[in-house]
Amino acid sequence: MSQEIFAVLMIAALLWPLVLVLRQPLMTALTARGEVRFPLDSLWATAPLPALLLALLGADGSLSLSAWLLGGVWVLDEPRRVLLAFTALLWLLSGWYARGYLAGERDRANAGNGAAASRLARFALLWPLTLSGNLLLLVAEDIASFYLGFAVMTFAAYGLVIHSGTRDALIGGRAYLIMAVLGEGLILGGLLWSVGALGTLTLSGLREGLGNLEHGVWIGVLLWLGFGVKAGVAGLHIWLPLAHPVAPTPASAVLSGAMIKAGLVGWMATLPLGESAASAFADLGRAMLVVGLVGAIGAALLGVCQRHPKAVLAYSSVSQLGMLAALVGTGLLAPAMWPALAPAVVLFAAHHGLTKGVLFLGVGIGEHPPRLPAWLLALLLTLPALSLAGVLGSGLATKWAFKAALYEGDHSALVTWLSLAAVGTTLLMARTLWCQWQGEGQARRDGLVPLAAPMPLAWLLLVVSALTLPLWLPALGLAPAWPPREELFGLWWPVLLGVALALLVGWLTRGRPLRMAGRRLPAGDLWWPLSRGLSRLWVATGPWLVRLAAAKTAWVAWWVALEEAGISALDALGERETWLRRHAAVLMMLVAVGLALALLFSTA
Amino acid sequence: MSGAFFPIATLSTSLVAAAIIFLLPEGALRARTVLNLAAAVLKIGLVAWMVRGLSQGQTYAVEFPVLEGLAFVLRADALGIMFAGLSSLLWLFTTIYAIGYLEDSPNRRRFFGFFSLCVASTLGISLAGNLFTFLIFYELLTLSTYPLVAHRGTPKALAAATLYLRFTLTAGLVLMIGMVALHTLAGDIRFGQREILAEFGPEQRGTLIAIFWVLIAGFGVKAGLVPLHGWLPRAMVAPAPVSALLHAVAVVKAGAFGIVRLVYDVYGAELSQALGLLTGLAVVASVTILYASLRALAQVELKRRLAFSTVSQVSYVILGIGLFGPLGTIAALSHLLHQGLMKITLFFCAGNYAEELGIHRIDELDGAGRRMPLTSLAFSVGALGMIGLPPLVGFLSKWYLGTGAVQAGMPWVIAVLVVSSLLNAAYFLPVLYRLWFCPGPDHGVGKWPEERHLGRFETSSWLLLPALATALFSVMAGLLAGLPFTPLEWATRVANLEYLP
Repeated sequence: MSQEIFAVLMIAALLWPLVLVLRQPLMTALTARGEVRFPLDSLWATAPLPALLLALLGADGSLSLSAWLLGGVWVLDEPRRVLLAFTALLWLLSGWYARGYLAGERDRANAGNGAAASRLARFALLWPLTLSGNLLLLVAEDIASFYLGFAVMTFAAYGLVIHSGTRDALIGGRAYLIMAVLGEGLILGGLLWSVGALGTLTLSGLREGLGNLEHGVWIGVLLWLGFGVKAGVAGLHIWLPLAHPVAPTPASAVLSGAMIKAGLVGWMATLPLGESAASAFADLGRAMLVVGLVGAIGAALLGVCQRHPKAVLAYSSVSQLGMLAALVGTGLLAPAMWPALAPAVVLFAAHHGLTKGVLFLGVGIGEHPPRLPAWLLALLLTLPALSLAGVLGSGLATKWAFKAALYEGDHSALVTWLSLAAVGTTLLMARTLWCQWQGEGQARRDGLVPLAAPMPLAWLLLVVSALTLPLWLPALGLAPAWPPREELFGLWWPVLLGVALALLVGWLTRGRPLRMAGRRLPAGDLWWPLSRGLSRLWVATGPWLVRLAAAKTAWVAWWVALEEAGISALDALGERETWLRRHAAVLMMLVAVGLALALLFSTA
Repeated sequence: MSGAFFPIATLSTSLVAAAIIFLLPEGALRARTVLNLAAAVLKIGLVAWMVRGLSQGQTYAVEFPVLEGLAFVLRADALGIMFAGLSSLLWLFTTIYAIGYLEDSPNRRRFFGFFSLCVASTLGISLAGNLFTFLIFYELLTLSTYPLVAHRGTPKALAAATLYLRFTLTAGLVLMIGMVALHTLAGDIRFGQREILAEFGPEQRGTLIAIFWVLIAGFGVKAGLVPLHGWLPRAMVAPAPVSALLHAVAVVKAGAFGIVRLVYDVYGAELSQALGLLTGLAVVASVTILYASLRALAQVELKRRLAFSTVSQVSYVILGIGLFGPLGTIAALSHLLHQGLMKITLFFCAGNYAEELGIHRIDELDGAGRRMPLTSLAFSVGALGMIGLPPLVGFLSKWYLGTGAVQAGMPWVIAVLVVSSLLNAAYFLPVLYRLWFCPGPDHGVGKWPEERHLGRFETSSWLLLPALATALFSVMAGLLAGLPFTPLEWATRVANLEYLP
């Protein structure tokens, strides 16, 4: 395929969502007053289509634009193609799903609810904008474009998180934004420092040079933590369980499936994985590994205490991203292993992206069950959960992919830990399904209207494409292997253990103590003590600030007083002068007399 | 045509315009408008012509002796023309804005007359070829701005203007003492004759350092360096176009530009570095950046918050000067322009909110994005640029500052930049949140303080278009930074002149 077609596809992929963004205000302006238009029409849903085409049809290549920012370079290669494909697919189907999910808002807007109409318009505007940022950061090779995509995605997604405008949504949005801004700051620091030291403008230049840079490991730490905010590194993950449950379901799906992968993409693009690097980076890798595993297992423990299925799924994302972080850490620890590990990480990202997307969309399906037989619905909801736990489909292939790579590199201890995390994943999935089952029962009792056609259709398509991921990925150049029959038990035992545990816990407790734990461990865990502590700190510093302001005022007052004293001294001087002037004649006379007398006596 | 024509012609466009405006009667509205706009457009044309000529290697200079060994010099060099370009471009937008803003208000003749005089002095500052000429226009700027700040005539405005005058006149005195000292030491130094001071022996180092800091103290008042910034937040009682001009082009920038001239064209970056002056500048700038950002957080009035933001952002220029090396210089020079574009947009928008809806406080902005979408969009562009997000110009400045800091061996500056970005986010994002996400009077919650319908669009087009134009400029100058004649490209050119022999 020629360079021109590649360039056209690339530019179309990035520009089309923006064109759709601009179309929204235009259409609003053209619509007659009083008439209400549903902004999420089918053209709107095509936003990720050119990007999907680019991933499917585009050959490896790059596009350079010298006028763009500091010099733009956009590249498509094998890992990028896989990431782009699953991202665009997830956005496409979630967008389609959103057309059904927000049909309720449309009806309210049609009924004359202005707030619903403006919420819809905002959603229609910010969805493609967020998408364009996400796509740009995937194809960007120059650092400025990458940071641009990252920032656009992060800040535009805020509007999606707080869509409903409820109190919980605002808290979730605040947690999201505060953490995002902190992350942006750390990333900016890391990028500026490394770019200044290396003098490079591209991500590959950064990755290759960082390993042997003086203080390089500190830059690595900044980048790890900065991207770690997005990728839910333990401790920085607090926004995930707060923001996910409150966002509209399709937005949660892309947030958890596609956007948090940006953190992973950032790590893979900037850290010196598979490069010869200073020994300090091995320590960084060890830290990533340990913190990743802590996140993987800790999030599972916290997640099973949650009551909202989307909060459980958010903790599951933290757990899965923890596993990915552990794998990336291994790549830093043992650079020789990275070439074997990298495809497994990309596969993991794609698998988790699509499967977690399906699970989130499934929550919406469970809340508004379509006219399907209950057993079929239950099966369709269970299959992705089993896939995420690693029993079948893409999950099985992914698990085998990194397990094989780790065994080859002789890291069997890590495999055990990851298996333990998989037990946690199984528990989380069991918990999700339990919550969903209860929610669905509630929904059926309430007799909610089954929702519009786009929702189940998009969900079904995503179920199929997620489960069959290993079958169609070879078309994009990444061919995952299926595990041999004798390895199956080794891959399945965590799930069996997890199911057994879940059944045991369920039988022992019948739900009650877990609910108690849920009250004691609210979603967002560390956020609450942190925000309470900070507000207490603020209250405590209040008097100090007042004292500081008083000191400043006193200082200014001192100067003003000094000036006034000076002025009054001048005034006094003036008065003396007046006195002098008034009595000038007498004084002169006195002086003259005095002089005459002095003269007289001196001669005498 | 001779090289003497263009500098004089450019300077006299505004001077002649000022003179005619003072002669015209108060009611000659149309004539004054036409004259203002024609002069602004003509000046942009003249400056553009000089830009073109300079890039082809022509020189534009004129000089005549005033005293023995002291000359009045006007000269267009790459650095000066950059500043002249900024001021003439933004003058056009500010003039358009001011015409719309001051509709039906008294004393417009006085206002526009001094307005033109103020721009003439800014242009003189940018084209000045030595410290003496610089100082003349610098003082002229001080005097011609006073009536603008005091324009409203309210006690508050008069007090602010008096404060402004006290700060700037004393600073002018300090500046003159420093200049005279330098003159006695080294004679008349043309800008660019860096070798004169470089040849002084080590026994003069103490004197040179002392003179440098005296001059910095003089310039620092206008540049708003902490603790000399006190007048700036007070002066925002002036009408919006004046604030815009003060913060983006004229007064504050003149101070920063003076420091640029002092370091690069009088002392020279290498001598300043050898004397350890640059590190001191970087420290002063860092303190200013952080202190002013913290103060901005506590403000509840929109224009006051913007004023403290100016104090902080102008010090980015000073910080860039403090980073020895071409990257730091590029950062300083490009931010001189970038900050102007962004800050003028923000002040235009603040003025629009005040004029159309009577909004002065930040908590009154709830839901204004729905009532005034285009103004709010322009404001968002400016605010996000101040935070330093791509693709806006603020990001480029921050990028070069950060990389320049590493190049100069001062990586701690990156921490200052990151903290400043976080603080900027902390005081701008809540404003954007109120604009776009809070329900306001147009959603049926509360009512605007004082709503007027000034035009067919969301407000009068005279007010709307300049804000949109400068916002568009700050997006395009960032997005297409690689094109020739963008601020970044021109700054790179000037920096190369400084560092490459």
